[in-house]
Amino acid sequence: MIDKINKISDVEWELKEGFMPNMSVPARIYISELLAQTLEEGAVTQLANVATLPGILKYSLAMPDVHWGYGFPIGGVAGFDADTGIISPGGVGFDINCGVRLITTPVKASSNEMPKIKRLITELFHTVPTGVGTHAEKKLNEKELDDIMNEGAGWMVNNGYGTPRDLIRCEDNGCMKGADTAFVSKKAIARGIPQCGTLGSGNHFLEVQKTAEIMDEEAAAKFGVEKDNLCIMIHCGSRGLGHQVCTDHLKEIEAATKKYGINIPDNQLACAPIKSDEGKAYFGAMAACANYAWANRQMITHMVREVFCKIYGTEYDELRLVYDVCHNVAKFEEYEIDGRRKTVCVHRKGATRSFGPNSPDLPSDLVSVGQPVLIPGSMGTASYLLKGTAAAMEKTFGSTCHGSGRVFSRTKAKEGMSGQEIKEDLEKRGIFVKATSNKVIAEEAPDAYKSSSEVVRVVHEAGISLKVARFEPLGVIKG
Amino acid sequence: MSFEELDHTADYLFRCRGRSPEELFSESARAMFSIMFENNDATGDACVTKEIEVESDSLSNLLIDFLSELLFVAEVDCLVLSGVKPKITGNTLKAEVTGEPFVLEKHGGGTEIKGISRSGVEIEEISEDDGIYYQAEIIFDV
Repeated sequence: MIDKINKISDVEWELKEGFMPNMSVPARIYISELLAQTLEEGAVTQLANVATLPGILKYSLAMPDVHWGYGFPIGGVAGFDADTGIISPGGVGFDINCGVRLITTPVKASSNEMPKIKRLITELFHTVPTGVGTHAEKKLNEKELDDIMNEGAGWMVNNGYGTPRDLIRCEDNGCMKGADTAFVSKKAIARGIPQCGTLGSGNHFLEVQKTAEIMDEEAAAKFGVEKDNLCIMIHCGSRGLGHQVCTDHLKEIEAATKKYGINIPDNQLACAPIKSDEGKAYFGAMAACANYAWANRQMITHMVREVFCKIYGTEYDELRLVYDVCHNVAKFEEYEIDGRRKTVCVHRKGATRSFGPNSPDLPSDLVSVGQPVLIPGSMGTASYLLKGTAAAMEKTFGSTCHGSGRVFSRTKAKEGMSGQEIKEDLEKRGIFVKATSNKVIAEEAPDAYKSSSEVVRVVHEAGISLKVARFEPLGVIKG
Repeated sequence: MSFEELDHTADYLFRCRGRSPEELFSESARAMFSIMFENNDATGDACVTKEIEVESDSLSNLLIDFLSELLFVAEVDCLVLSGVKPKITGNTLKAEVTGEPFVLEKHGGGTEIKGISRSGVEIEEISEDDGIYYQAEIIFDV
């Protein structure tokens, strides 16, 4: 596949405008030759397809964890002119504001941590509702849900489920502007009410990790990360609320694509002008879901703190949020394009914001360092903390990779080791896994994913985010 | 009739078949629930029955909307659905759905489905030696 693509550097490749008919900008892929061995043709076609959409600026971009998705590739980033461009649910994904947060603890991992980790994971598994068919303990009413969709993580903190400091450690302070709950359907509300404070399933997880290596002492100190300390990583999103909003609005936006006469090479790229009624409705509903996702991760953080403090005897606010980032979202941000400041609707689908030093929305103590960027590994593999860079602001609309990305299907994964075998194998390596079934473990086999280390090496080399620390898992909860 | 899992990197892709559109629809539902639970047999004493009604602009969209509706019912009521008997008249579907409340120890966890891919679902009529089949390939986004 990569032989059809022009090499710019060892980690950056370009598809020229003629690669596919009607591309109005070229496409760029940040990838190494090693990762390119598993690059799917379908993902490259999707990347080129995005370059045909109205109002796209500079490049259609792919991060090294790119793979075949719905319309846009997963690992795709695209910026559209806020006046003349489009917004597309396929460029955000079903799980709106699927994201990650990292929490540090003051506890140093001992050489014999496993018995305590087992207790901690088992208790967390029973406390945090996980997997299919589970509802949150706190049942919200419609008014509370509406407030959460407007206020995000702030609602949780105001209601006693967190500390004010948590909010300044979230992208957008845990609340995106422009939420409009009038465009969230009754069905979406019915799915959202029982699920705020639930983990979900699939690639979502809750992990206890150890800071294994610090690569950038200065940034790590600013981010509050110390070697050998236990950390907790939470990966989940807007649950059924976001899924339903995506389903509902895809239908509306498909009709809008025809209504506004937008030519798209693939129906999955259904989109509407940003300034159209349909485009504004989707954005308002999407922002509401993004806020709900932050509240969801905040509620889970609260449960994690309570359980951790009980087992390790720490104080609630000694568990400090390093940062919380979104992976699936469309946002309005300002960039300099051809010498002019422009408002851009940046779609990140399986990509992380990577704002460099002096960017807007950074907490005041991190202005000189850049934004913390969190890259979760797959089950049993390392996760990373990176920092955003000025190069990302210039090259990738302030974006970088989001994780490791699947290399092969769940069907294929299940043909390999059984869930029980994987669980035993990981335990031998000092990683305790608890899941709702062995089927889930088999499907999420570490081998089914690209190597997180190689993905991170590429973004570091390309300069769109830089390594700060590496974390190794000790205990994993899978839905 | 049958459903079969095909290779798809990120999501679940199933080829479902039935002797009639109704059978194709109930097989597609079975395929969906095989993803969500380890064991989707819901024949215990706690069985409940629900009625659903879906209307769409084409038969293939009706299939997507029908699966979306089942997903909604299963998620909001925490139900494992086993029996789905749809009746299709034109582009309208009515179905009686039976299931029981989810119990982890009995049904085992599977993977939650975020949505049913809205494009690429086409219902094909295939003639084989033993008669006509209705077939569709469906992507379940997880």
